[in-house]
Amino acid sequence: MTEYEHYEAVVVGAGPGGAAAAAALAKQGIETLVLERGADAGAKNVSGGLIYAEEWAPYTIDDLFPGFREAAAERPVEEYYIHNIAGENVKTFDLDRIHHRGTEWCDAVLRRRMDSWLAERVHEMTRETGGGLLTDVRVNGLLREGGTIVGVTCDELDPIEADVVIAADGVNSELARDAGLMDWDDPDDWFQGVKAVVDMEPEVIDERFDVRPETGSAHLFSGDLFDGVRGGGFLYTNEDSLSIGTVFHLDSLADERAEPHELLDSLLTHPLLDQWLQGEYEEREYAAKLVPDSKRVAHPSPHRGRLLLVGDAAGQMQAQGPIIKGMNHAVTAGGLAAEAVAEAQTRGNVRAAGALYEQKLEDEGVMKRLRPRRYRATRFVSESRPVNRLGRTLVNSRLGAAGLKLFDGLLERSFNSPFVLGMIPDTKMTYVTIPERVGEVLGDPVDGESRVEPPELDDRIGDLTYDVDDPHIEVLDDSFEASGTAVTACPVSAEGFGGGCYREETVQTNGEAERKVSLDTQPCVECGTCAVVADTHWEHPSGGKGVQFEQG
Amino acid sequence: MVAIDPTEHEISELGPEVNGIDDAAELREMLSLEASGEDRAPVKTLIESRIETLEAGGEDDPESVDLTELTIADIANMVRDIDDGDLLRDILEREREGKERKGAISQIESRIESVEGSDDDGTELEYEPPEKKYPDLDHPTADKQYVEGVSGESYRDMWVYCETQQGRLIDVSKEMLGRARELMDAYNADNAVADDTASYGGDEGGNTEEVVAVLIGDDVAGLAEEAIAYGADRVVYHDDDRLARFRHKPYTELFCHMCRDWSQEWRDYHEPRYNIFPATNNGRDLSALVQGELDSGLASDCSDLYIGAAMISNPAKTGKPGDSVEFERVLHMPRPDFSGFEYSTILCIDKPFRDFHPQGASVIPGTFEVPEPGDREGEVVEHDIDLPEDWFQVEVVDHDQLEDGVDLTGHEVVVAMGRGIDRVDPTEGIELGLELTDQFEDAGFGLSRGVITASYEFGSHVEGYITEERQIGESGQVVEPDLYIAAGISGAVQHKVGMDESDTIVAINTDPEADIRGFSDYFIEGDLFEVLPRFIEALEEGTFERAIAEVSSD
Ligand SMILES: Cc1cc2nc3c(=O)[nH]c(=O)nc-3n(C[C@H](O)[C@H](O)[C@H](O)COP(=O)(O)OP(=O)(O)OC[C@H]3O[C@@H](n4cnc5c(N)ncnc54)[C@H](O)[C@@H]3O)c2cc1C
Ligand SMILES: Cc1cc2nc3c(=O)[nH]c(=O)nc-3n(C[C@H](O)[C@H](O)[C@H](O)COP(=O)(O)OP(=O)(O)OC[C@H]3O[C@@H](n4cnc5c(N)ncnc54)[C@H](O)[C@@H]3O)c2cc1C
Ligand code: SF4
Repeated sequence: MTEYEHYEAVVVGAGPGGAAAAAALAKQGIETLVLERGADAGAKNVSGGLIYAEEWAPYTIDDLFPGFREAAAERPVEEYYIHNIAGENVKTFDLDRIHHRGTEWCDAVLRRRMDSWLAERVHEMTRETGGGLLTDVRVNGLLREGGTIVGVTCDELDPIEADVVIAADGVNSELARDAGLMDWDDPDDWFQGVKAVVDMEPEVIDERFDVRPETGSAHLFSGDLFDGVRGGGFLYTNEDSLSIGTVFHLDSLADERAEPHELLDSLLTHPLLDQWLQGEYEEREYAAKLVPDSKRVAHPSPHRGRLLLVGDAAGQMQAQGPIIKGMNHAVTAGGLAAEAVAEAQTRGNVRAAGALYEQKLEDEGVMKRLRPRRYRATRFVSESRPVNRLGRTLVNSRLGAAGLKLFDGLLERSFNSPFVLGMIPDTKMTYVTIPERVGEVLGDPVDGESRVEPPELDDRIGDLTYDVDDPHIEVLDDSFEASGTAVTACPVSAEGFGGGCYREETVQTNGEAERKVSLDTQPCVECGTCAVVADTHWEHPSGGKGVQFEQG
Repeated sequence: MVAIDPTEHEISELGPEVNGIDDAAELREMLSLEASGEDRAPVKTLIESRIETLEAGGEDDPESVDLTELTIADIANMVRDIDDGDLLRDILEREREGKERKGAISQIESRIESVEGSDDDGTELEYEPPEKKYPDLDHPTADKQYVEGVSGESYRDMWVYCETQQGRLIDVSKEMLGRARELMDAYNADNAVADDTASYGGDEGGNTEEVVAVLIGDDVAGLAEEAIAYGADRVVYHDDDRLARFRHKPYTELFCHMCRDWSQEWRDYHEPRYNIFPATNNGRDLSALVQGELDSGLASDCSDLYIGAAMISNPAKTGKPGDSVEFERVLHMPRPDFSGFEYSTILCIDKPFRDFHPQGASVIPGTFEVPEPGDREGEVVEHDIDLPEDWFQVEVVDHDQLEDGVDLTGHEVVVAMGRGIDRVDPTEGIELGLELTDQFEDAGFGLSRGVITASYEFGSHVEGYITEERQIGESGQVVEPDLYIAAGISGAVQHKVGMDESDTIVAINTDPEADIRGFSDYFIEGDLFEVLPRFIEALEEGTFERAIAEVSSD
């Protein structure tokens, strides 16, 4: 026997998934230790920011944390729109129906505030069980004994043993990778989200968005403002700020060699936004993070031995067309994982927890939402090129245009159908071509004119807070072919910009010019992109090190 | 006229200076100089509080002051500074005629006793071992032969531990030898030869005392002559290949053996009078171990040393309550407190039945000047006892030599190169930067982080320069030279914070929009590969001003 400290449960990560799991474990009296690498919970996390409480869900955040909405959330979303953009033409659909359908409530959140509030509750609850929550600790791998997972190892502490390990360590989960449950190879499996938090006085928000002081609105954007990159934009109202961001398919972003910060800027400077920004733009924070695409990577069997994966770590992030739901699923999964652990413990066999958890995900309807069978069926067709081309000719033809006009109402309705949204194939046609045609044919020109100037990338980096440490990413192959994509796809790098993480350089070796990339991890915002698009050895920085988001 | 202009001194230097001034008018003048110059709050407080002290004392002329106006504490403070027995008796008389306070009277009487000695001198103090005096306490040192009982022994000479690194005397060793020489020259003189340390004409018997240098290591004999040149009269050395690196046990044992247990004709005393060590990592360890083994005290991290008399009234030291006794030949060891602002002077003084020798100090490197080596004569003595194996139970299995750090601060000029060097060839860019650096008498060569983290392949002759040690900025060094030349640097905020306090900033950049333009005094729009060679050429011929004019003429 080793002499390591032992807990009944160790939860890695204090995001919504980890917080929910820990709270539910503590309620069952299970001795729980939570380890979080941020200097403060939330310091590492980014969301667009709508957290949903869905009627079907067995666990919601306010079930587990009473008082959540008043203490940790921003404004509740009461209005929901999507804007289809073609140049200056915009056609707006009201997404009220889909938004409210099956939704108990939905609030905008900022993750630093939300997660640190959750962490305090979690600490109080888990302390009662003989555990607690520790920040500044990065788990760097699984502790194994004779091939069996028996705990975790950390940068800062001695290894810790546990009856079960719940990995709620988010996207780019080092534990899921260590267990062989996830790889970070295929850009198709991920989205990249980039976001700016923008200062705005509460009264100004009330006035410009025409909302009451205690309510807010949400706006989505799609169409031709992103240079053909598949994805869209969002704008949510917080108490005294706006969250404005973009979410793109990583493969598309990589292939188009698009610059994420520029795409964000195209949204920020679109005349449509002038009605809200009115020439005033004070950016509080620039942030980015990968988002898993559950349709492709939600793990059907997210456990191995005593390890259970929860939330983004298990790929449980549902993109319902432009509507993004990750936090709510992480909460549900966290609750179910805890339930499974408690049941398995009662049965005297904690090793059964994983299988029980898998069963619960299926039974409670989580899996079918994350990986709809419809999508599995339609995917092949809708992603195949000929169909795409056909679609394009269709919408571009006069007939198509007439059809669109004719079906204006129908279209709005179909945007509001979860069935259609669930089927939406992730092709350029749905993200760009159709919205663009909708905007073009049905839309009216916006009369605003953008007067905002978003900050340059170097200023965005300059405004972030870092506690820099040794490099946490290593480029294994620094040739441009292998790792050059990161120069553009990294949200804090850009072609011709010497101050980013990845920089393209031409190096003379023996008279031959060679294209190479170099990496400086100091400006890194730990989004995970280069773990996928470049040839790297990628880890998170040690506890408390690296970037610290104030907003999230 | 003021002797010291405070604006020309660091706060830490001013503490002792200001407290040595007795003229309030001079202090006021200093105060106004400071206020119109640097205007540092702590300095002003320092001067003000000195003025206050002086004036508080000055108001009560003890010969005429109305005692009834003073509190007992005031009187106690006043008489503490009076050494004249007649005056004290006069004060006593006045108090008796006035308020006749018991407390005041006993204060004055005890002062009279301490300046004149008490009447009942006949009663000699009798030694009572502490074990007997306080039978209820533990006495962990009871079996240590030197702790109690050693008294009235003979002590001589000033011993200086000379630390070496890589077979050379380190600077602080030379600094200590230089100061020891000054102190002992004055000590041995009949009349004062220095105004900061006392003369005694040698030891109590009039024989001169020596500066003894100690060298311990592997192959240190060769350094003995150098130690003599820097001030030693005698060098004691011990060579052994096992001593190549500093080790606590053998170094401590050796030092103690040399200075206490080793019987030699020239060393016919119990222990050294004074021991001096460097306040380096090793010196701090050794000084504490040696002084502990010799059952004496240690003043660590001293910032001055001098020898003189000290009037002591502490009965624990004098053995006679109420008496002041003057102790001679006391090593005064001033050291900064933790703020670096106040000083305490540490004295290591014998008490009845117990000697505290050697008086020991460790000295902060750089406190004294490295002296000019002289053409001096001295004795070299080998200490060649056999070293027991069990001194070497701790083995040094590995050691690493840290690279000499690159210090870019404190230069008049700093030349820094950025990623603009890759426009033509990074190696050539660095060469140009180095060449430009060479044009100045006192210039440092720095880099932006952008260069250090690049994948450039540099020619081997410049490769050594591409290290984080040369990085200027937020996560590198912060420099403020008179002249900062930034070539091919965009001026990212993280770079800016490391250099924008420089007096004059010259930027060379092809991009007229580069951020650095906003905080440069001269912005030269151009390719560094064209501009720098012309710069270098112009500097070879003339001044910087001419070079700037030349280069920015187009
Ligand atoms: C731009 C953007 C917009 C989004 N919009 C929405 C939205 O509107 N609605 C929504 O529901 N979802 C949204 N999401 C997705 C949502 O943020 C995630 O699905 C959700 O945060 C997942 O929660 P989690 O608890 O699984 O992981 P996370 O919230 O990522 O938490 C993981 C935690 O684990 C910690 N951690 C990681 N590794 C270690 C380690 N090795 N050791 C210790 N601690 C570790 C991290 O610091 C972090 O605190 C968005 C995402 C992005 C990027
Ligand atoms: C947390 C953190 C800490 C950091 N700490 C530091 C730090 O301590 N120090 C530091 O320096 N950086 C630091 N950085 C990096 C900093 O942000 C910049 O990336 C870096 O300073 C850029 O270096 P550069 O100016 O050489 O390169 P670039 O920004 O690429 O600038 C090169 C410049 O050279 C010009 N140029 C190109 N060719 C020529 C030519 N032929 N002649 C003349 N000009 C030419 C270009 O116009 C450009 O302005 C830090 C970053 C972060 C995020
Ligand atoms: S270096 Fe990699 S992880 Fe860091 S911000 Fe860039 S892409 Fe993201």
